[in-house]
Amino acid sequence: MLLCSGAVFADDLFLDNQPLPQVLTATRLKQSAAAVPGSMTVIDSELIKASGARDIAELLRLVPGMMVGYTSGNQAAVNYHGTNASDARRMQVLIDGRSVYRAGLATVDWSDIPVAMEDIERIEVFRGPNTVSYGANALMAVVNILTRSPADSHGSRVKVVRGERGINDFYASQGVGWETGDLRLSMSGQQDDGFDSNAVGADRRDGRRLNRFSLAVSQTLNTQQSIDWQLNAKEGTNQRPYTYTPVFAGITEGGNNSDVTAKDYAGSLRWNFDFNPEHSLYIQGSAQQWDRRQIWKACDAKVSFSPELTRLWQLNPNYAERLARHMDTYSQGVAPPGSADEQALGNQVLDQWRNGASQSVCGDIDQSTRESRYDLEIQDTLSLSDSLRLVSGMNYRYDRADSDTYFNGTLDDTTWRLFGQLEWRASEHWLLQGGAMYEDTHLSGNSLTPRVAVNYLINPRHGLRAVYSEAIRSPDMFENNVNWSYRVTNLDSPAYGQNSGQYFVVTRGPGNLDKELMKSRELGYNGFFADIGLNMDVKLFYDEITDMISSPLRNNQYIASNANSSRFTGAESQFDWRMSNADRLRLTYAYVDASTSNPLDKAQTARNSGSAGWLREWGQGWSSALFYYGDDALNRYRFERVDLRVAKRMALGNANVELAGMLQQRLDNQPTTWADNNYDHRQVLYFSAELEF
Amino acid sequence: MGAQSRMTLLSLPRRWQRGLLLLCLLLSVPAWSADILLTAAEDGAGVQAFVQALTQQRPDDRVTFTPLANLPVPSRLPANTRLILLDLPSLDWRLQDAQGPSTLVLRISRLQAHQRMGQGVPGKISLLWSDPPLERQLRLIATILPQARRIGVLYGADSEFLLRELRQYAAPMGLEIVPQRWDDINDSRPLQHLFRNSDVLLGLDDPQLYNPKTAKNLLLSSYARQLPLVGPNAGFVKAGSLASTYSDQTDWLAVLDRLLDHPPAGWPRAVYPERFKVVGNPQVARSLGIEQVDEANVAARLAEGEQRP
Repeated sequence: MLLCSGAVFADDLFLDNQPLPQVLTATRLKQSAAAVPGSMTVIDSELIKASGARDIAELLRLVPGMMVGYTSGNQAAVNYHGTNASDARRMQVLIDGRSVYRAGLATVDWSDIPVAMEDIERIEVFRGPNTVSYGANALMAVVNILTRSPADSHGSRVKVVRGERGINDFYASQGVGWETGDLRLSMSGQQDDGFDSNAVGADRRDGRRLNRFSLAVSQTLNTQQSIDWQLNAKEGTNQRPYTYTPVFAGITEGGNNSDVTAKDYAGSLRWNFDFNPEHSLYIQGSAQQWDRRQIWKACDAKVSFSPELTRLWQLNPNYAERLARHMDTYSQGVAPPGSADEQALGNQVLDQWRNGASQSVCGDIDQSTRESRYDLEIQDTLSLSDSLRLVSGMNYRYDRADSDTYFNGTLDDTTWRLFGQLEWRASEHWLLQGGAMYEDTHLSGNSLTPRVAVNYLINPRHGLRAVYSEAIRSPDMFENNVNWSYRVTNLDSPAYGQNSGQYFVVTRGPGNLDKELMKSRELGYNGFFADIGLNMDVKLFYDEITDMISSPLRNNQYIASNANSSRFTGAESQFDWRMSNADRLRLTYAYVDASTSNPLDKAQTARNSGSAGWLREWGQGWSSALFYYGDDALNRYRFERVDLRVAKRMALGNANVELAGMLQQRLDNQPTTWADNNYDHRQVLYFSAELEF
Repeated sequence: MGAQSRMTLLSLPRRWQRGLLLLCLLLSVPAWSADILLTAAEDGAGVQAFVQALTQQRPDDRVTFTPLANLPVPSRLPANTRLILLDLPSLDWRLQDAQGPSTLVLRISRLQAHQRMGQGVPGKISLLWSDPPLERQLRLIATILPQARRIGVLYGADSEFLLRELRQYAAPMGLEIVPQRWDDINDSRPLQHLFRNSDVLLGLDDPQLYNPKTAKNLLLSSYARQLPLVGPNAGFVKAGSLASTYSDQTDWLAVLDRLLDHPPAGWPRAVYPERFKVVGNPQVARSLGIEQVDEANVAARLAEGEQRP
């Protein structure tokens, strides 16, 4: 109190009067763990390192309730609590405040995110909806990846990882500081073979190779202003198995892969302005681009490009498919029964079939996409009094997707968002936090979502909380506006007089999909027992999603609707116990009960899942980390794995060297998430060497 | 506010005591009074306020302030003058002359003295340390963060000499000092290393390490690791340090009052003020999930502990 009154402070000869900036201001300080208006899991740098994980998705196994699966070796599918979509469709994923959720296809390509594990300082996972703070699509959870600040990344680091399964990674970074700023430049690469074999024992084509570049700069302009900017780029190849199966019988030719060349670019600039210790503002602008180049060879009967068959598909896809699948049978006679128009077209197609359209033809299918996003956000933090804080702001986003296959050209969307949240510390014990977000999306209309949380702090380290929040997810461009058809080019022999042709199957999104609505209720406790160093969090939840868009995203007869719903109830807990300066024990467990109108929506929910970890410093530079991860059934397959990492640190002159060995041992004999994801051996071994100077 | 009301309560009986004492002196021996000469190179509002306060505190002494520029060499001042120096230039002036009146030096830190005089303090000079005493700061940590064991301490070439003493105080309290040298303030690696191995940071009052330039990065990066900083001084608490002990003008007036009551021959060579306060940053404490620092209560507990040897 004394120091707060400036007059006393200024006149006193004995109080240090050097003009120190007020650094940890009311606007910069965050809520203590017990006062957070929701459930939060923080994966800190110590855990990141000890886990030995090579991917962000693997780290998320440390988060209670997080369902980590794989579509293929280079396609992680991470969901909080579940729902069947194979991607993080209902989770917001941010890197330093920039959403990496793909603009058009609304997925998160975990393996393609242009950030190296070594550059991550910590990952904060907000478990539960929070559109007020993170925007729509923060429907089930928010994964906030925070990179190490350039000011904390001085010096040089070089690291290599080599191991079984083709593991071959590198990382190199250089950080420097000067009078008014800091910079970090890093380059990294990653390579592995993915899974070994598919369901029938053949080689699984899902390896990857990628390189990344990242530059982060922080610059202080004056005592009130600073800017942070980043440039990130990533290029690489993700192998994809060849999955094209000809529609028409008797076609034997085909390609051998449908690999993707993925390039991701991102740039962001943030301007921070501190008006005074009670008021600050930032403006952040970012631009991102996702390039996915995917061309493969497809072979099918020439009739695939028949204009009559295309019209028949538009008239009645079921009829067209029945005819196409049994061309040989029907070509002996006449078209299957149907309406007069259908039969007339069907007979024309059968004539074509009999007159040479049954011949095989091969060409290139181009499923490439290019998506861009421009985002501008202003956020204002105002500390109205010692016990009242207001965070408000607005956001503009422009999304654009360019794909001949998916959108027959280009599609774009704009989103405006207004948000505000008030934190009121009513007393030493009671904390009330509430807010709302209004969003208007060009393609899917507007919405308002509220959120309110009450925390009761037994003391500063122990808090009880009750949270009610609503959240929405706008249907993405793909679900709502897909215009899906394949144009096949470079045909090896002309079909219908052309060297290219439009494949007869065309799928269109409904265009009038409504937003999904999430209503979430949560009771929780967070406590830190300082005497023994134990931090714990327990949560009970009851989440409902209505108007849910759950249809699988496939191109034959894609009919998306808001007809589905699901409900997730259960409990989660996490314990983080620093038993001594040398030992840390961490446990998580989640029990999730899913009840869904579409049975597929609970396939990705494990009823029981969790992790256990023991980190120990043995002295003389030796350290070890032992982790167990398990879930009882993700897509019907059990997953249990034990990871052991043993490391030795050594000083080498002014440099530090760390050598580490990592062993992952699967305890079950099951495929990973899907029948096609199998390893030949249940264990994998890899080593890393890191030099810091 | 609390501090002022406390001061009134304490000073009221003292004024009565002093009145009685004065009466006794007037009756028994011829009234004696001292010439107290204050000096400083710079004469600002703070200096004037202090001189005025001291004049009121010592009504029987002749308290005068003369800017350093107007003073002759120390040896030409009357020998019975009691000289009080308020800044470092005046100390430099005083040190140039081995002769001269008995001198109390205020507003000097251990580090500044060490830079000027090494370990030796010339005769007739008493140094009144301005930096919070290390033992008191350690005891503050033990009081407000009883679970903290590893005390991270950044030091530089100038402050290295304090480490030995710091360890001596820490050992009986069951605390471990984790020292980390920090020579280049544009290189944050030593900070990262220290933060990984500490439960709390104790700031040494070393302006090479703790200054307006380093404050931001130091406080932000320690906060990012949820690591509280204690010290190095009261000013840093406002910037974002968790707490510190400090002595303000009221405390120093009390300390001076006691010293000036004694003949200069009895003045110590160097002394930390026995009167002090505690300041905490409630917002930082709240954010770190730490109980609010009850400033008056903690100060009283620390003072009580110091009186019990």
